[in-house]
Amino acid sequence: MENHLPEGRSQQHAGYFPVTGAHLYTVLHEVRDPVARVLLVGPFASERHNAYLPWVRWARYLAAENIEVLRYDYRGIGESTGAFEQMTFADWSQDVRLLYAWLADRAPHVPLLLHGVGVGAILAGRAFDEGLGDGLLLWSPPANANQALRATLMRWVGLEQIFKFGRDQKSASDYIRELEQGSSLEVDGYSWSAGLWRDSMRFTLPAALASEESAALAYKRPVRIVKLTSDAAPLAKGGRVGFDDLKDFSWLFAPNRDWIVAVTSQSSRGIAYA
Amino acid sequence: MRDAIGDRELIVLDRLGVRLQGTYHHPADRPSGEPAEPTNLDRIGVLFVNSLSMPRAASGDSAVRWAESIARQGYPAFRIDLPGLGDSEGDSSTDLLDIVNAGGFASVAADAANQLVERFGLSGVVFFGHCAGAVSALYAGAASSDCRGLILLEPYFHVARAERPRVRRRLSDWARSSRMGRLASNLYDRIRNFSSALRGSALPANANAQLLARWKQVASTGLPILLLKAPGIKAQGAKPRLGEFDYIDHVVKLAGRKESIAVEFVESADHSFANREGREAVEQHIAGWLAANFPLTDFEFGTERIAHLGDGENQGHSGKSQEAPADRFCALEGR
Repeated sequence: MENHLPEGRSQQHAGYFPVTGAHLYTVLHEVRDPVARVLLVGPFASERHNAYLPWVRWARYLAAENIEVLRYDYRGIGESTGAFEQMTFADWSQDVRLLYAWLADRAPHVPLLLHGVGVGAILAGRAFDEGLGDGLLLWSPPANANQALRATLMRWVGLEQIFKFGRDQKSASDYIRELEQGSSLEVDGYSWSAGLWRDSMRFTLPAALASEESAALAYKRPVRIVKLTSDAAPLAKGGRVGFDDLKDFSWLFAPNRDWIVAVTSQSSRGIAYA
Repeated sequence: MRDAIGDRELIVLDRLGVRLQGTYHHPADRPSGEPAEPTNLDRIGVLFVNSLSMPRAASGDSAVRWAESIARQGYPAFRIDLPGLGDSEGDSSTDLLDIVNAGGFASVAADAANQLVERFGLSGVVFFGHCAGAVSALYAGAASSDCRGLILLEPYFHVARAERPRVRRRLSDWARSSRMGRLASNLYDRIRNFSSALRGSALPANANAQLLARWKQVASTGLPILLLKAPGIKAQGAKPRLGEFDYIDHVVKLAGRKESIAVEFVESADHSFANREGREAVEQHIAGWLAANFPLTDFEFGTERIAHLGDGENQGHSGKSQEAPADRFCALEGR
């Protein structure tokens, strides 16, 4: 059995990528003569499951436009190996750098962009700040990872309360207090350690990525920042999870694809790609 | 990029009209770290199918852990994404729940099972599904000549609806969050219970007759079935909420005298079984059930396979969970 799926002009290859102490599950949407490449840094932990279908469709949408895409599961999440509760934001940052290097090494050399959503936007943004990427696309970047974790926690608490009545119900602030006091908390099957919670507050989006204007001044490379509304659920908060992931996202995909095509054609003119 | 690591291998199933992506968890006594050659395992394999739109790892990656656990006991485990789901080909449909309710995945899941039987020389397949996945697993079991058993977590036997009316959702929120609401909710339950008593053993109007027919078809043959239940909203232990029809009791009776159904109630679980206690309880129940129904005579647990994995590479979680979270994906929320 060959481990690839044909998808029009592209081929989908799933594989494992070795990193320290674990293997990352990766899916390469390979195209023959790509005009660009994009590394997708996806939704975090349980958000991965919510948003899996639109995320895969986004990758396929780009591949159909002759843009080669690599998506992956974070260390300790989904199909990747590793114990989630032992992972740190440093580990997940390393994942981005390693996969970026692998993708940048592929021939032919074409512009390579980073794209992240939620916590993935911070990871992509920090990698971009380190000098990686010919362009950066961010969907709903939080100011820090704690904002994203809080949003996930709020939703989890809301759903958990469906099964609780009266005094059995705990509020989000009760759980946050426990995390801040050093307890771990299992959210949607993932054990959040107190350390993860603490580190999430310090894991920030680079200041220059606060707006497209400040990013343009700081980096001299194209940056697009999109704040997703609840229409984009489950890629954004809101909506009806488990059902909204099946709807049509072309209204979101098309303008972002157009932006990638536009900036990569500019990059190709301005940068000598071997 | 590698196709196989440690006890896992990425596989693609074709010849189904669409190509399905899956993960194969090698049984513990078979060489691993490399893609498996066509082989003759001559034992039962466990095949996981998606729950609604969840990817094959399932909520909290619980399916990964269950598959690893099953493989450690010597049974090959396969997690596949059905058409249009996860990493598999095919178009996803906005009426996915209707498709599941009508058994729309039965044929492709049965064909996938047949391919696995041929490819790995299995003696048969146990279909594994959770919630909407349990519905798909049951339909697939009825459609497959390779089916030797079913593991069903939180199956439902009514026609689930994707959306609840907004008014009803608000009423539920009110009932949960206020004293008056709780009183009103209890009164509502008693009225439903009275109405249910008047109805006797007749099925509710929204029962999934087609699914119940498939259940009778497979369960009455004595097919081994493990059925795992988690506490429901306002449920009384294993029994349903006051006024709700007891489908589990009904389907066990429906199976007749030859039935081989094990019903287990996992008190520590939430609906998804993704919390640590729920996950571990499922592992234990499955281990006992597989050993009892499909004993392996040629299996000796060895440590060779473990050596292929890097330190800390398994996805086992450490630390105790604080609470059992609700499952956000459930088609049955507030049923």
